Amino acid sequence: MHDGAISTFFFYLFAASSIALALGVVLGRRLLRSAICLIGVLGCSAGLTLVLGFEFVAGIQVLVFIGGIVVLLLFAIMMTSQGHTFEQQPTLRRRVAGASVAAAFFAVTVSVYMNADFPVPSAEELAVSHEGADEIGRKLLSNQGDGYIVPFEVISLLLLSALIGGIVIARKHAPEDQDQDQDQDHDQDLTNHPTDVGS
Amino acid sequence: MLHHPTITHWLTLSALLFSIGLYGIFTRRNAVGILLSIELMLNSAVLNLVIFNRFVASGDVDGQVMALFVIAVAAAEAVVALAIFVSFYRHRHTLDVTQANQIFEQTDRLCESGNSTP
Repeated sequence: MHDGAISTFFFYLFAASSIALALGVVLGRRLLRSAICLIGVLGCSAGLTLVLGFEFVAGIQVLVFIGGIVVLLLFAIMMTSQGHTFEQQPTLRRRVAGASVAAAFFAVTVSVYMNADFPVPSAEELAVSHEGADEIGRKLLSNQGDGYIVPFEVISLLLLSALIGGIVIARKHAPEDQDQDQDQDHDQDLTNHPTDVGS
Repeated sequence: MLHHPTITHWLTLSALLFSIGLYGIFTRRNAVGILLSIELMLNSAVLNLVIFNRFVASGDVDGQVMALFVIAVAAAEAVVALAIFVSFYRHRHTLDVTQANQIFEQTDRLCESGNSTP
């Protein structure tokens, strides 16, 4: 899908819309609108990945980034807004600092890209088909030297600990009163009641 | 007539998205707004990995695997950050990060109750 005028057209279309939506994320004063713009940016990014020819990663981006993370962010915005989701205009000092840092980063990065000498792939290398879900799965679960089985397992542990940590941090209040009553009755053998730790 | 996009075009696009996220981090005061900008920057990093996989290491899938790892870590990070925000909002009734300058108010109470049940 890489060659041809169609992919060029889609590249510029997705690039322009994602930049415009990203500016909407950053510059808007309404957080809900920013989150909706972020959905647009991530969708355009998935489209760009599709233009590159990686269908599997594009699907994962839509599923996890848009379906999971942005919906979580929307929940957080709605839970933590007292009827108003506005944010006041940042001070001029903050805006100058942010713009100068962002412009400096962009200038340095683009100058590096301009001077770098990337290996230009040949046409037949670019024409390789990338129906790579089975290849990705084999790579993820292979225990050879170039496999990713250990990071894969570590990621699963990380997700589990993030799940438990999120529950522990965000739960409402530690049930102190009931626990103390029950502890005196029941807890001769359980010296370390697990719910006491976070209370 | 539009040029056919080369790797420099692609990388410039993702650097631009990253810079926009950087600007957002510097100007936002709401913690969820900062997290939105961070998601923008993570997205551009994923895009960079995929671009390099396409143009530089065209025969491998390592860039795609790394992109999957970045997405998974982003999900875990969003969960923990939002739990912290909800807890912070419950105590302070604001999410302004310039007000978030102490952590010991609750931790003292937590340590006391933890030590009182040896």
